[in-house]
Amino acid sequence: QEAAKYGKKVMVLDFVTPTPLGNSWGLGGTCVNVGCIPKKLMHQAALLGQALQDSRKFGWEFTEEVKHNWMTMTESVQNYIGSLNWGYRVALREKKVTYENAYGEFVGPHTVKATNKRGVEKLYTAERFLIATGERPRYLGIPGDKEYCISSDDLFSLPYCPGKTLVVGASYVALECAGFLAGLGLDVTVTVRSILLRGFDQDMASKIGEYMEEHGINFIREFVPIKVEQIEEGTPGRLKVTAKSTKGNQIIEGEYNTVLLAIGRDACTRNIGLDKVGVMINEKTGKIPVNDEEQTNVPYIYAVGDILQDKLELTPVAIQAGRLLVRRLYAGAAIKCDYVNVPTTVFTPLEYGACGYSEEAAVEKFGEENIEVYHSYFWPLEWTVPSRDNNKCYAKIICNIQDNERVIGFHVLGPNAGEVTQGFAAAIKCGMTKEQLSSTIGIHPVCAEV
Amino acid sequence: MGWEEKQVRGFPEFVQTAQRYHGRPIFALFCGDKDAEGRSWCPDCVTAEPVVRKELHNMPEESVFIYCLVGDRAYWKDPNNEFRKNLKLTGVPTLLKYGTPQKLVEEECFKAELVRMLFTED
Repeated sequence: QEAAKYGKKVMVLDFVTPTPLGNSWGLGGTCVNVGCIPKKLMHQAALLGQALQDSRKFGWEFTEEVKHNWMTMTESVQNYIGSLNWGYRVALREKKVTYENAYGEFVGPHTVKATNKRGVEKLYTAERFLIATGERPRYLGIPGDKEYCISSDDLFSLPYCPGKTLVVGASYVALECAGFLAGLGLDVTVTVRSILLRGFDQDMASKIGEYMEEHGINFIREFVPIKVEQIEEGTPGRLKVTAKSTKGNQIIEGEYNTVLLAIGRDACTRNIGLDKVGVMINEKTGKIPVNDEEQTNVPYIYAVGDILQDKLELTPVAIQAGRLLVRRLYAGAAIKCDYVNVPTTVFTPLEYGACGYSEEAAVEKFGEENIEVYHSYFWPLEWTVPSRDNNKCYAKIICNIQDNERVIGFHVLGPNAGEVTQGFAAAIKCGMTKEQLSSTIGIHPVCAEV
Repeated sequence: MGWEEKQVRGFPEFVQTAQRYHGRPIFALFCGDKDAEGRSWCPDCVTAEPVVRKELHNMPEESVFIYCLVGDRAYWKDPNNEFRKNLKLTGVPTLLKYGTPQKLVEEECFKAELVRMLFTED
């Protein structure tokens, strides 16, 4: 849309290769269809369940038992997503961007082939190309994985309640999904190969895991599934999962209605003809290395988003990078995308917001003696009356002593972590120091005043 | 031609008609009432109607096009009127594909391209 604003003739080729179970979706990419949007809505559904429980202590009286209907929630979520898909179609059309629901691949210099779902092929040429094909969930590569397991691509539109679920993986996708499924009242087990939330501050990660465990989610640590078999067909059916220890020969078995794989995502760069135009990719990871102007090794081909090597996999980052790129190309701007100090939030049952360095990364970069960590547990006022945990919410900031105690890392674990973190991210971008933070008077009574 | 038009006035008549054709693609255009000379109190509806009518032949086979007059201006301005409450309409004219989130509102209805997209999309 940005390029069209500057009068360029633009075409978008978007195509979703169906999941092994046949699932597909509309225009908008992962975030809108099978990522952030449905995830946050379902997380909210789970939070509302908790709120209903808390409400009794605040004086609300209701005699009926409170139950959750998966289909009602899923229908509402999918309806909303549908309106977003439609909204994008209208927006593109209004800005005169040509959209084709077709699979694009390079076939030669400046040329792509677009194949639609009926197999009809068309060729297009262009001056420049932007690749933003994103990623898809990785499968385990064990017997029964594609036939019987689902991934996040299937979960948000699953036409039946998943029931007793085994979540394989300890990524934020795994923990967020495990979190809201448990919050909706389902029996959830998470099997973890080694650590939780690799790449995130491990102190925070273990607190998140602890909280989830204390709130009814089972964790099986240091095991990996080696086989998934079907005991009974159905919606949901019954599956038998066999897992092996990573530390020995111990084998365990379990029965579940649904197995959700969330062990990582792979870039969609292997089958789009990059070799035909000479675009280099990291053979091992499939990611595309780009310079700081999002340009690949082929000058007229650019890339943004999750497929980039060594860059954060976040929707707003991709959007920002894309917009700035277009402004540099067609509007004479010179601003590059700032990948540093990008705030994120993990929407586990106890939400975690972060911006900047993790404690480990700060220690590695600056040395333990040069950083100072300030931290505090807090008890949200809203949790006091319903007697919820008084020692779980936590905040810490990491400061660089050598640079005026500049705040280089911000971490908060508690309700509305995303909302809290956004403001602090702006402050960190401005170079806020510990003194400035301390001298900012708090808003009372809110969690963020801590 | 492959499609048919039904003209209705008011919410109950609209619902009844939509239910009768359940199973077929249903498109609906909501406009303000017309006076004795056939002019609507809603100027945008006056602009949109011919644009929409010109694109009707793009609707899929077996479609039903419901042309629905919502009421007079006072009724429409009431924030609790049935169309706002039940169909979540926010403005007139609105052109929508019944049972889906796909719709075009107000000036969007003036654009033949968008109307055609609504009629021909999956």
